[in-house]
Amino acid sequence: MSEKTLTRRTFLEAGAGLAAGAAVLGAAGVAGTAGAALDPQVAHAWGGPVVTTAHSLCNACSSKCGFTAYVRNGEIDTVLGDEGHPYAKGKLCARGYGYLQIATSEDRLTEPLKKNDKGVFEPISWDQAYAEIAEKVQAIIAADGPEALAMVQDPRPSGKYYTKRFMNALGSANVYTHGAACNLSKEAGFTQVIGTGNYSSDVASSKMTMFIGRSYADAIRPSSVSALQKAHERGARIVLVDPRCNNSIAFADEWVPINPGTDLALLLGMSHVLVTRGLYDAAYVAENAVGFEEWAASLATCTPAWAEGITGIPAATIERLAVEFADAAPAASIEPSWRGAFGCAYENSGETARAVCLFNTLLGCWNQKGGALFTPSVSVGKLDEAKFPSVPKPAAKILGSEEYPLSLSNMGSNVYAAQMAHSGVIKGMFFYNSNMAAGYSNTAFLAEALSRLDLMVVVDVQMSETAQLADYVLPECSYLERLELPEFIGGKVPCVTLRDKVIERVHPETRSCDEIFSELARACGVGEYFDFTVEELADAQLKTVGLSLETLREAGGTASFPDAAFEYGKTPKWKTPAGKIQFTSEACAAAGLSPYPVWVEPAVMPDEAAGTLRLVGGKQAHMSHTQTANIADLMQITKDYDLDRVWLSADVAQRWGIADGDEVLVSNECHEGRVRVKVTQRVNPTTLFMPSHYGCSSPEQRTAYGVGLCQMDFVPFRIEPGYGGICSQEALVTVKKVGA
Amino acid sequence: MARYGMLIDTKKCIGCYACRVACQRLNDLLPDENFIRFEEREEGVYPSVAVEHVPLQCMHCEDAPCAAVCPTGAAHIGADGIVAVDQGRCIGCLYCMAACPYQVRVRNSETGAVDKCRFCVVTAHESGTQTCNCVDACLTDARIFGDLDDPGSEISRAIAETHAVPIVADLTKTKVFYVR
Repeated sequence: MSEKTLTRRTFLEAGAGLAAGAAVLGAAGVAGTAGAALDPQVAHAWGGPVVTTAHSLCNACSSKCGFTAYVRNGEIDTVLGDEGHPYAKGKLCARGYGYLQIATSEDRLTEPLKKNDKGVFEPISWDQAYAEIAEKVQAIIAADGPEALAMVQDPRPSGKYYTKRFMNALGSANVYTHGAACNLSKEAGFTQVIGTGNYSSDVASSKMTMFIGRSYADAIRPSSVSALQKAHERGARIVLVDPRCNNSIAFADEWVPINPGTDLALLLGMSHVLVTRGLYDAAYVAENAVGFEEWAASLATCTPAWAEGITGIPAATIERLAVEFADAAPAASIEPSWRGAFGCAYENSGETARAVCLFNTLLGCWNQKGGALFTPSVSVGKLDEAKFPSVPKPAAKILGSEEYPLSLSNMGSNVYAAQMAHSGVIKGMFFYNSNMAAGYSNTAFLAEALSRLDLMVVVDVQMSETAQLADYVLPECSYLERLELPEFIGGKVPCVTLRDKVIERVHPETRSCDEIFSELARACGVGEYFDFTVEELADAQLKTVGLSLETLREAGGTASFPDAAFEYGKTPKWKTPAGKIQFTSEACAAAGLSPYPVWVEPAVMPDEAAGTLRLVGGKQAHMSHTQTANIADLMQITKDYDLDRVWLSADVAQRWGIADGDEVLVSNECHEGRVRVKVTQRVNPTTLFMPSHYGCSSPEQRTAYGVGLCQMDFVPFRIEPGYGGICSQEALVTVKKVGA
Repeated sequence: MARYGMLIDTKKCIGCYACRVACQRLNDLLPDENFIRFEEREEGVYPSVAVEHVPLQCMHCEDAPCAAVCPTGAAHIGADGIVAVDQGRCIGCLYCMAACPYQVRVRNSETGAVDKCRFCVVTAHESGTQTCNCVDACLTDARIFGDLDDPGSEISRAIAETHAVPIVADLTKTKVFYVR
């Protein structure tokens, strides 16, 4: 066993001269920011064999933090977060270190597989797999048109480009992201109010920030943790609204233990206080918004006392929070969240998102220091049409756009696609970097729906539950073994980053996403849209913004665009139909919702008399969804601390005769399973919290298999009206001590 | 000679395990070979509840029970006061694990030998840097490493300012100090 001698300080000292040299690229308005690049000779000086370095992007979650890998004898020796990457800021989280193990995992997919008549996977050559898939694709198109094909993908730098281009080249617009199981409702709700799907809270500079179901300390982006810590240390008021007292409490002033699913009532109650007491920014609203009067009138009944009855939060607390917000405005906001409480959780999630934006509007905090910001981003310009020809727009719209008119076309409702597979409308589906079957909705329904497909192709690095269901499994090389397209990141200073190859391919029969979809396209007869390499495309994309692959690498994998930097105080151009912030929405009314957000009860509500609890999921800092559960370093943490336990309120546990560590049976109409309990004061008594990473049912993931319960086993298949979200927390369960 | 020590501010600890996994990966440890152990303390009654995460690791005791009970001299106090385990001399008797009041020693399941936090000793000695991987990795700068005998060092100043103390008073004269 060797003790490693590399540390950040050694490298930064060693590479300081080089970093200074790389800081200016000479391209107009572009500066390299990522910091040190290590001279191999300098590395040699501390004794080891020559070390090479590569800047790349993590793949353990969607943040894709930049890091520098130091590679010795073909193996990764050390990784350090890149100082210049806006999300990493020199740090990585536990997943960032642990997920490196995916490259050498014994559970990697190493060759293409085809399921035989007995349902058993057998190896197949790439060429044979491509030929068979292409034949089935063409048969589906001939019989039912390209609309009978669909793709589900969790966006990654290359993946989002190649999967969409492949499907569009085949004539199908049915490209779904994981969004409906993540942030679709939130982004679609925001879009109805502010004309864009996201904003960022200026937490570090705020006087008050409220988080609703979002925990920076449990779903970590290092820069966000740092911003929260700064805010706390500056004395900002940080409020956590969450049925679980999450780990961000270290840097928060208050935990508001809301009944899950009722955040909308809290928002309406706080808005009532601001509006009826005249504490809102009336001038800002008059100048920037339409429809305020109608919404204001509807708030008359949404008193704090009314909200208390729904949320379980005392009326006095609701009043106080609203007044504190008014005092702190405009350096205050409700943080936009991610998946959290209203990304995809309830039948009222989209409307909750609307109310969040309206509350921020009452504060007049948009683009104000410490408020809620629309930060700029830079995007790829026009490419050479001869080399990178545009793909004709598919004739039909993405399936689900009529049924869920508020869903966003760049995400779509993946669960609607599954429903269409179930009903036979969609015949062929591709999955890239997506474990839909285990994470997006009811697992039994999804397994049945996907099993009805004529063709199911999964591209992944390990045998996920989704891959288990496939006809063909195509093995990708890991994120450490491939170059991807540049990733553009919006922010106060927008930038572009690069996932670069860190190590050679561990398994020779694995291929990269760009290769797989280009080769599939050629086999399917649409290869004319893929007559270039990923290097050529990356370089061409970067040249449209004054960079090149070479200059971005020299800059340390991250280059910023200071000329496009954000400025406080500028009123954004509202991209809504009215050209202003919309308190009322015709689209929402047309979709059968209220024109302005009003209280919408979740589809199901826990009942104390019946002994039902709402099943609430959430992240732990060392895990991301299901994809990290098979990583030995990370799963060992779960095992060491029994982190697959469900959280039950101490009060409820006492009444039900359940002690900490007891094994319980969790059951509902969908599923039942045994798991141990963490009895805690940190959870709302109407809630059963279940970490959402566990319950892996794929035996080929030997580390993760059989540990804990899978939240989605218990969640009934349901789609949020209008918005198309998966309603991930519209599930009630009972809990009974085993053997009692 | 330096007298190395560490300060851990649990008020800044979010219990994210970044230190543990960074330590494991950068020191090339097995997945179940964890040099940092965590205790989570919950205080108060719903909804007025406080949470404390306490990372524990080798305290590099000046009065080290592990070294006292080791029959072979494998566990010993080495240069700069860093408690070390000579892997070649460890016979895997596990006396030291039983003796450690902080329960922060681990058995390597491949070699059978016992190991624990080394204060990234090779880092400190061979490359001349005075830091540890866990200190570098910490997202909230909850950890400080340095020379306790240097009154001007960051750690000495921080201990004076924060009144950081050992996890258990004067039990074994530890060199890891806590702000709680």
